[in-house]
Amino acid sequence: MKTLESAPPEAPPNRAAAAGGKSRGGPGSARRQRARTGWAYTGPTLFVVGAVTIFPILFSVVLSFTSVRMTYDGFRIESFTTGNYAALLQSAEWREALLFTVFYTVVTVFAELVLGTLAALILERLGAGRGWIMALLLVPWSLITVVSAQLWGYIYDASYGLATWFFDAVLGHAPVILGTPSSAVGGMMIADIWKTTPFVAIIVLSGLVMLDRDVFEAAEIDGLGAWSTFWRVTLPQLRPVIGIAVLFRILQAFGIFDLPFVLTQGGPGTATQSLAILGYKTLFQNLNMGPGAAIATSTALLVLVCCLLFLRAFRSQVSEGELR
Amino acid sequence: MKAMNASPGTSRAVRRRRHPWFNLVNLGALILVVVTALPLYWMAAASFKSQEEIGANPPTLFPTNPTLDNYGDAFGTNSLGHYLLNSTVVALSSTAVVLGLALFAGYALARLPVRGSGTIMVGLLMISVFPAIAVVTPLYLVERSLGLLNSHLGLIIPYVAFHLPFAVWIMRNSLVGLPRGLEEAAEIDGASITRTLLSVVLPLARPGLFTAGVFTFTATWTEFLMAITLNSEDSARTVPVGIALFGSEYSIPYGAIFAGAMSATVPIAILVLVFRRSIISGLTSGAVKG
Amino acid sequence: MTLSRRSLLAGTLAGAATTALAGCGSANTNPVAGQSTAIPEKPTTITWWCHRLTDRRNRDLAPLMIDAFERRHPTVKVRLLRSPSDTDTNRTTLTTQIASGSPTPDVYLGDVVWPGQFAHNSLALPLDQFVPKDYWKRYPAALIEACSGEGGVHAFPFFIDQSFLFYRRDLLDKHGLRVPRSWEELADSAARVRDSGDVASGFVWQGSVYEGLTVNFTEFLADAGGSVLGPDGSAVTVAGDAGERALTYLRDLVATGVSPSAVTTYIEQDSLDAFLNGSSLFLRNWAYAWAAANAEGAKTAGRVGVVPRPGFEGRDGAHSGLGGWSAFINPHTEKLGASLAFARFLAGDGGQEALLRESSYIPALSAALDSPLARRLNSPVIDNARKLELVPRPSSTPYYPKVSKALYTRANSAIGGSASVRASLSAMETEVRSALKGAVL
Repeated sequence: MKTLESAPPEAPPNRAAAAGGKSRGGPGSARRQRARTGWAYTGPTLFVVGAVTIFPILFSVVLSFTSVRMTYDGFRIESFTTGNYAALLQSAEWREALLFTVFYTVVTVFAELVLGTLAALILERLGAGRGWIMALLLVPWSLITVVSAQLWGYIYDASYGLATWFFDAVLGHAPVILGTPSSAVGGMMIADIWKTTPFVAIIVLSGLVMLDRDVFEAAEIDGLGAWSTFWRVTLPQLRPVIGIAVLFRILQAFGIFDLPFVLTQGGPGTATQSLAILGYKTLFQNLNMGPGAAIATSTALLVLVCCLLFLRAFRSQVSEGELR
Repeated sequence: MKAMNASPGTSRAVRRRRHPWFNLVNLGALILVVVTALPLYWMAAASFKSQEEIGANPPTLFPTNPTLDNYGDAFGTNSLGHYLLNSTVVALSSTAVVLGLALFAGYALARLPVRGSGTIMVGLLMISVFPAIAVVTPLYLVERSLGLLNSHLGLIIPYVAFHLPFAVWIMRNSLVGLPRGLEEAAEIDGASITRTLLSVVLPLARPGLFTAGVFTFTATWTEFLMAITLNSEDSARTVPVGIALFGSEYSIPYGAIFAGAMSATVPIAILVLVFRRSIISGLTSGAVKG
Repeated sequence: MTLSRRSLLAGTLAGAATTALAGCGSANTNPVAGQSTAIPEKPTTITWWCHRLTDRRNRDLAPLMIDAFERRHPTVKVRLLRSPSDTDTNRTTLTTQIASGSPTPDVYLGDVVWPGQFAHNSLALPLDQFVPKDYWKRYPAALIEACSGEGGVHAFPFFIDQSFLFYRRDLLDKHGLRVPRSWEELADSAARVRDSGDVASGFVWQGSVYEGLTVNFTEFLADAGGSVLGPDGSAVTVAGDAGERALTYLRDLVATGVSPSAVTTYIEQDSLDAFLNGSSLFLRNWAYAWAAANAEGAKTAGRVGVVPRPGFEGRDGAHSGLGGWSAFINPHTEKLGASLAFARFLAGDGGQEALLRESSYIPALSAALDSPLARRLNSPVIDNARKLELVPRPSSTPYYPKVSKALYTRANSAIGGSASVRASLSAMETEVRSALKGAVL
């Protein structure tokens, strides 16, 4: 395992060799003992994760088949119904939100992947100042999304935003960036790409530094150009890393909430209304818990299906990572 | 690029391969730095501008009359100090609990014969990326029944549960790469598994713990949807919620927002810069990618 | 593994069942039972959630109201909590906070269309138990209807907003026209002045796909003698003859060019801008347009008149949409006496007088509009306020946002000409019906 700035801790001298052949008792009982310890170690984690995440997911499924009403000190399930899903499927707003979320996910993840790989290639070849540049890249990534949304809202502001001023100076007229559907979607994507590309870049870089150098030398000896080397040698080796980065980004982008909530509130109209925004509005603005849970459940289902399809496609890479 | 077709005299080739790239790489790096830094600078500058200057057209590159009014507004009228305290308590506690649990679970999954560990890993991965909107209503209703809303604990519990899977994933992958020799030696010396883990593995596991810690802290520090839903009352708000709901007589109080943003970002940015070696080596050591 | 997974699942389900039962079992009893309704004698501080309201000099109105209250009740201090300026964010933050059981804020200012939804979801305290039977008679009946939801009145009225017809006095005089007394007359006059080239369009109003179109549409519906819902609040009556007359009139305004086709994208500000820059003869807008049209430097200053909206020929006019904000009490308040005192102050003589004195909002209390102070103000908006017949939106249903959405989306497509009036009305009726059942996203 190679790392960029510091070597991993050296393996200390092997004391096991010095200890010599001490007998281990019954191999079966030792193994059982280890298995029990294994469960004792994973148990708390599985319990916490299970109790706090799986239960709400199941509860959400139940809620999506009910009509719920808030009371002074809790809530009351008034009846069970499939009407929430019927309403969902009939709703043009839901279809638009789904379409927007998918479109947004595909475009931003693709752009982040391309730009992130490019940035990683640059960083890999860079000599001086790499540590500082990478630290700088980490700042947008660690920025609170709400803050970066406000920041881009300020940059896009129709009367005194930096971008508005720039377009006015260059094009001679100032567009209302967050005022029309297409430019609002584009503006939101840029804000997302700005914040998240560094994350992709650093993960891809982690793959790049671990690539097998010999293959590159072989490629060079074979007289491959830089471009073909990238496509035929570098990229195939990066597939597992890129696979994981893409999976993470797809699922994060699919649940996008903070950015439109602050930047556009889903507007203009419903142009930037993601599934999460629609779900939130239905749940907490219209206090329509049943249909809101139906949106939440269907979104979760889509994510799961997506995830499984992805794992299938990248099975070899993922299991390779697991076994390593 | 064409230079690569030249004869394979190693040192020469390296030099010749690097040379044409040199400008392109540096140019790319420059663009990267400018594009990343410009919006950050814009935020920093705006936090020191007066309300009039923030709304000036054309915009001013530097604050003409630098002022700390926005910071006063953020900490005074908008009780940012309180939000920072809430965020710090919630993020630090969540991170501590997550790391404690993830160390043991990660070790078990890396070293101990846990049946179905592959399934567990995939299951954990899925949960770690589950959209928060899918669980926020039931969490809200349950926490309300238990009286946990608008409390630190009410946020820490779901944060631990939802960020634990990724931390376990990181810990497991970083532990799996460690040499086994020491552990075996300790065991042969008769140390229990727990003792081995704490005294032998733990010191070696620091890079992985560090990476998992950075991820968990960042994720909990920036989390918004659960925070705005579960802790909506002013006294319980975290920084992201507080900043999103900053009230003022202006429709969007950018000055106070950016002053708040700077106050919440600068400490983190300084930590990132100070620890950049550990963070970057942790992030690029392969622990993240699996 | 299988065993453990099973036991894990069993444990989870057991937890689920317990919690669900706890939830289902919660009885909706009076949350403030046992609390004193009297004004506390010991110093008490309550919180008031209020968005930015402006006084006559564009300063914040809320502190002035608080001062006036604290002078009268020295034992109670009111701390102002600033709500987000965006109405939807305001409502969402408020609902999550109150539904969480938080006692903060004690009193909050809410829109006149909220009570139905808030009452249904136990987010506001029912108030009939705290006031004498005839207390609400001092306010316009339509306003009290809007403040009511399941279980009675849920908000103390603070101020109302009313709509008027604004016209260019100078242009009507120039063309020898009188202020129109019916919508038909308005269309004729507007067409004549527009054809002369003095204005680009005759009549501007709010036709965009949003809440404002619901207000415009329900006003014309009332002019034509109809309403969205029947008197019992459950029958959907929007698609009757009145609906057809109202929607046909609006559609013809656009079809004949009396209103610009862009009116289907207009919100309040767009229509006001069109009127202020002199491109329209008539404007339907809220009361605040009076001050804007006469502001220093406005092109229309001194050339504008304002009257109650006319009606259709052969029917009564003077209908006005009902807007405004009221004071609600958080059902989880721990300071019932002080909260009641403050909310009642805002709605009562003292608060309404302060409101009239300090701001341009229209007091909700009918008596305040007849006071000597009101007459001294010499404002045509205040003078006309009593003459209007207020038309509430069908907001007593808990699903009002979805009802309204059905109204404004369908009305918008009929007005824009992309769907026929008949088809739009029947789609409206179907959608309102399913919205009332809560079966819409």
